[in-house]
Amino acid sequence: MIQRLRFDKYSALYLWALFMVFFTATKGGTFLSWTSFKLVLTDPAAYTGALALAFLVPLATGTYDLAIGANMSMALVISAHLASTDKTSDVAAMFIALGACGIAGFVSGFFVVKLRVNSFIATLGMSQVITAFIQLTSSQSINSAFSDGYRDIGRRELFGLPLFMYYLAILAIIVWYVFEHTPVGRHMFATGGNPEAARLAGLRTDRLVWGSLVASGMIAGFAGIIATWKVGNYAATFGPGFLFPAIAAVFFGASQLKGRPNVWGTFIALYALAWGIKGLQLTFISNTRWIEPLFQGVSLLAAVSLASHQGIVKIRKRKGGADGDAPSTPAISADAPTPAAQATV
Amino acid sequence: MTSVLRIEHLSKTFPGQVALSDVSIDVAAGEVHALVGQNGSGKSTLIKVLAGYHQPDGGERRAWVRDEPLELGDGQAAIAAGIRFVHQDLGLVGMLNAVENIALTAGYQTGRGARIRWRDEARRTTEALDRLGLGHVDIKSPVDSLPPSHRTAIAIARALVGWEEGAHLLILDEPTATLPGDDVERLFEVIHRLKARGVSILYVSHHLDEVFELADRVTVLRDGKKTASVPVGDLDHKGLVELIVGHHIETTSATDAAVEGEPTLAVRGLSGGSVHGVDFDAWPGEIVGLAGITGSGREHVLGLIAGQLPRDGGTVMLEGSAIENFQPRQAIQAGVAFVPAERGLRGTIGPMSVRENLSICDVGRHFLKGRLRRGDEVGETNDWIDRLAIKTSGTEALIGSLSGGNQQKVMFGKALRLAPKLLLLDEPTQGIDIGAKDQIHRLVDEASAQGVVTVVASTDTDELVRLCHRVIVLANGRVVATLVGDHIATEHIEHTQLESSRRAS
Repeated sequence: MIQRLRFDKYSALYLWALFMVFFTATKGGTFLSWTSFKLVLTDPAAYTGALALAFLVPLATGTYDLAIGANMSMALVISAHLASTDKTSDVAAMFIALGACGIAGFVSGFFVVKLRVNSFIATLGMSQVITAFIQLTSSQSINSAFSDGYRDIGRRELFGLPLFMYYLAILAIIVWYVFEHTPVGRHMFATGGNPEAARLAGLRTDRLVWGSLVASGMIAGFAGIIATWKVGNYAATFGPGFLFPAIAAVFFGASQLKGRPNVWGTFIALYALAWGIKGLQLTFISNTRWIEPLFQGVSLLAAVSLASHQGIVKIRKRKGGADGDAPSTPAISADAPTPAAQATV
Repeated sequence: MTSVLRIEHLSKTFPGQVALSDVSIDVAAGEVHALVGQNGSGKSTLIKVLAGYHQPDGGERRAWVRDEPLELGDGQAAIAAGIRFVHQDLGLVGMLNAVENIALTAGYQTGRGARIRWRDEARRTTEALDRLGLGHVDIKSPVDSLPPSHRTAIAIARALVGWEEGAHLLILDEPTATLPGDDVERLFEVIHRLKARGVSILYVSHHLDEVFELADRVTVLRDGKKTASVPVGDLDHKGLVELIVGHHIETTSATDAAVEGEPTLAVRGLSGGSVHGVDFDAWPGEIVGLAGITGSGREHVLGLIAGQLPRDGGTVMLEGSAIENFQPRQAIQAGVAFVPAERGLRGTIGPMSVRENLSICDVGRHFLKGRLRRGDEVGETNDWIDRLAIKTSGTEALIGSLSGGNQQKVMFGKALRLAPKLLLLDEPTQGIDIGAKDQIHRLVDEASAQGVVTVVASTDTDELVRLCHRVIVLANGRVVATLVGDHIATEHIEHTQLESSRRAS
């Protein structure tokens, strides 16, 4: 019976249900109100969701992109700068900003693919270079750079939700479609699973990694564009704080549903956490800033441990039963559906 | 002459296979004692029993080190009794330098506050290497960055630290298997020095030149039994080959098979890795075997053709069009299907299912009208599971949950579904059970019957005999013999491998 419930694959869904029941019981109306529902759905989950997609795409190919936070800030800074001058229209500024983020991803890709720098290190380095660029060009905040007409493209509401949420949903569907329904997605996961086997199978592994970093840069840029609609200002504190929640959602999500990084698992994890945080914030009214990091950290550790544990049990069973014809695959990467095994760097 | 290690009546049986049968061996003090035999003759098993990886069969399990009884199958006891091992993979930690590697085994010398006395450690390392005549070896860089002969020397130096305090026998397990030619010479100098110091050595090898160069006595194993234990001086090269292979064979020069028409595959001047200029052709439906001892080039030829390894030179033509260097994608498009050796490293994609592993080379086949048709893909996978008799809980089982033989069958399905013109099989049945092996052999026969050209590289000589129409024997990176017809016999191939290895060196 316990097996049927598949706690390993659906832990985030159960957790989500638990939060809904528990906090509805303790906090009732405040927790279930439309205002709090909307707040959880769009703020800050909009940024986190976009950044999580940005992290997810290269992770499928076994590549880390830690420059996503910096890219997000850069998109906001560039479009705010260009939009505040009269020469460029706000929409053109948006596309230039996205292009710049794509270029940043391309440069990361050059280091990873051509110079064989570990992606963790290469993108960490790029992240600092981009941060330096941001500091150099805009040490203080940029206010009211965007016209109302431009901001309405994203913030106008449809069925009670701002339009950027629909854009984000479309983006998520595109990533899901590419991952699950095209050969490209299959090739990306094969590259992440065993780069040498993928290369020998005739896949263009270098291009897949490189391309995924360009896509990651642009998706992170899109997170910055959401900010141009939602906030409309640039402040120096914007950006880096969203990195961990996004990565936590991806890794927690990777333990869900398919046992590898996937779009819907990521969003389920993201919203399960967001609702849990909301409930706790309503419970502890004063000083609630500790809740979010604690919650994300603990749930990430718990979910991934559970998934790894299942893998380890499987391996032990195999080892006991096999004689003479032992499995030649390194058992950890074969059986444990942890993101760590998926994303070998 | 006192004996350092004496083993009597040792047997070891694995399920369905006798690895060692009533083997006795006696290593005298101060001698270099060679242990030789073909792959599967039992020499590795013997070393592994000594090192405690395997338990000997019950009953007679007697061994003595300097007349002190030793319990076999206990690694700690063997080391306590004074046996030191240098295994083929050396067992060094690549990121650490020589000093740290030696200290890991020998124990750190610590001063006050558990501070490691690095200066003393460095001196110990330099002295140990100096005594091997390699005082110039870089002891500060990670051992991964050192030449192979230096790494071997460090492993030997590590084994010999504290030698005077009660160590008696050094076991070198195929120390030259992965060394390039010049490095072998350097290693020989080291061993000559050890011999001069009076160190007793049990030297495991399948290179007969090394036996004549280094050893005082030689013990030969064949099919798990000892065939001889004699002074090297009493043997010549030919006599030793006969002891190893088992039959006296008239050396005959084989002729190429008379084949009509243009070859499908033409390999010219292929070089790279351990291969130095290999030429061969193959005709439709032919199964060509590649034989040779490790280091002969056998292990790299297929990788160089398929794009796994970069070539230094040479061309490969398949039906008149070139297969480019180091381009697996282009090779597949030209009609090559490659089943690499070491499946786990280069073949299977661990986090993926049987279905995904099977279809990865051509997923596009199921991409119709903007979507991957999962149903079609599952259907095709089920067809292959039936056709290849793959034992799996289903198409969605992770590849790692299958046994080695069934994983290999998936790799075959992955290759065969490309409908290749050329099938390259590198150690196709290594480490898989007998039943799966037989099934895989039948698959190769079927592919051949349909006109596919197959090239098989294998250390398993029986496999080559079973499969091949023609066997090409490599030594020192070159083709030294081509065997056809009646000449394709296990003893004959092994004979040629060993003989040629000498002639060419």
